[in-house]
Amino acid sequence: MSKQVKSNKLKVVSKKDTVHHNHPEGGKHLVCLLGDEQLVKEYSTTFQSAGIAVLELKSLASLKTSAKKILMGFELSLESTELKLTNLKALDESLPAQIPIVSNAVTSTVLTQAQSIGHKERLIGIAAFPTLLENKLVELTPSLYTSAEIAEYVKLFFTGLKKEIAVVEDSVGMVMPRILCQIINEALFTVQNDVANPKDIDTAMKFGTNYPHGPIEWGEKIGFKNIVTVLDALYKNHGEERYSVAPLLRQMAIAGTFWHKEK
Amino acid sequence: MALSIGIVGAGTMGAGIAHVAALHKINVSLYDINEEVIRRSVERINFEMKRGVDKSKISEEDMKQAMNRIKKRTNINDLDTCDIIIEAVLEDIRVKKDLFKKLDQVAHHTTILATNTSSLSVTSIASATKKPERVIGMHFFNPVHLMKLVEVVKGTLTSDETVKRTTEIAHQIGKKTVQTKDTPGFIVNRVARPFYGEALKLLSEGVASVQEIDHIVKNSGGFKMGPFELMDLIGNDVNLSVTESVYEQMYHDPRFRPSPLQKQMVEAGLFGKKSKKGFYNYEEL
Ligand SMILES: NC(=O)c1ccc[n+]([C@@H]2O[C@H](COP(=O)([O-])OP(=O)(O)OC[C@H]3O[C@@H](n4cnc5c(N)ncnc54)[C@H](O)[C@@H]3O)[C@@H](O)[C@H]2O)c1
Repeated sequence: MSKQVKSNKLKVVSKKDTVHHNHPEGGKHLVCLLGDEQLVKEYSTTFQSAGIAVLELKSLASLKTSAKKILMGFELSLESTELKLTNLKALDESLPAQIPIVSNAVTSTVLTQAQSIGHKERLIGIAAFPTLLENKLVELTPSLYTSAEIAEYVKLFFTGLKKEIAVVEDSVGMVMPRILCQIINEALFTVQNDVANPKDIDTAMKFGTNYPHGPIEWGEKIGFKNIVTVLDALYKNHGEERYSVAPLLRQMAIAGTFWHKEK
Repeated sequence: MALSIGIVGAGTMGAGIAHVAALHKINVSLYDINEEVIRRSVERINFEMKRGVDKSKISEEDMKQAMNRIKKRTNINDLDTCDIIIEAVLEDIRVKKDLFKKLDQVAHHTTILATNTSSLSVTSIASATKKPERVIGMHFFNPVHLMKLVEVVKGTLTSDETVKRTTEIAHQIGKKTVQTKDTPGFIVNRVARPFYGEALKLLSEGVASVQEIDHIVKNSGGFKMGPFELMDLIGNDVNLSVTESVYEQMYHDPRFRPSPLQKQMVEAGLFGKKSKKGFYNYEEL
């Protein structure tokens, strides 16, 4: 292989690095979650079942009062909106400077997001995307600013939850969400072009090539809206037609569900 | 009366189909232009079934009966009484069209003519016959005895009756079926394009390495194999040619654009497992 990518940033963080006294495995700690409702729920459930106290923040006002107890902040909004930046700013202004902020970086790079906060070195990206937390690996991405200590701390936090970590370059779509959304998009083009019905497409991918779920049932679980959000971000970032959204998928995103076309 | 199928082309896929059909109590006539291939193919089926017996998946009696159901045919005219003839010769439109023209003359008028093509147009193959309504795609997956699926591909002129009977026959061979129109890549080879294409693009953009992408896809997505492992297994030459074929037939829709990186690997002879080198190194293992 010509290209053996250098991205193994994990190596940057040596094992000898000091572990914070408030190490995730060391006693009671609190993680606060902000943003996308569906993702907050998934993360909250996973954290709590591992015995981690979670603060689901409904309003930023409550952030100030509990700031001192929080050991890590998560901003999980998938879409890169003003609200997301407001949340990041609030976390940055309220939490002590050494506390890591983990932000969903599927639709915008950590580098971009870091521009809106003061302590850029504490921000690290995560591929937070519905259904992926069911599996054992979590994708993280540091920006150019992210400090080795922060990266190591967040990594240890997840390994403490029995998750494996992969560190990838700071790039829109990251790895799994990007591949997955493109597969689901193609499945919707296939329905739209009347090649086959949704049920048969799901059956075909499960039994013809061993996919863990059919792409359409998977899309329904993830939420078609979320898939469109990722594809639009990829389209905007790359400026390539290959990321154009199947018109039927866009309709699904609005309807919220798939009307199972009987054929 | 027991169902009888004819198989033309006793290579990887032909042998696999014969094996599975015979175990499902179907009479098989196995034909290839190369007699030596037929002999070796039957030997391989025998070997595979023996393994099944050793692992107690089938009984010795099952195996004996199944092997007896497979007839070696060295004359294509001997396929005339089959209920269906499944073609599994090399992926070349000229060869397939010539063959279907011949089969159209040889086969009884009620015999279904099916092609196992992965990437050619069933409609185009059917156009070589006088009765395109009896021509259909029956797309099996490799290895046939492990992969449950058959895509039943309806060509533009394929009759509903042909679709119905072919579906029943696939079920009798123990397969799950899906129905698809005759469009490039059908379902599986089309919807799976981004699995490879995006992985190659991520690699060429330097987002992650071959090993990292495979690892993420398996452990974050829950897929059994990563895209690069799978490309190495399928063969980068085969994978690229399927992508190129879909891309050409879709009139260069950018969603299907092949990867220059994969092209370069094929040019370098890095086909994957079969050449001992691909995205991974399989030497001295
Ligand atoms: N290998 C796969 O993974 C796979 C999967 C699905 C479909 N297919 C399709 O199945 C077909 C066969 O593929 P394969 O991998 O088994 O190929 P193969 O090379 O293993 O076998 C092809 C056989 O066809 C014979 N042949 C060539 N011309 C012939 C003719 N005119 N008459 C009779 N026999 C002839 C050859 O001697 C050879 O034995 C192709 O159309 C391919 O696209 C392959």
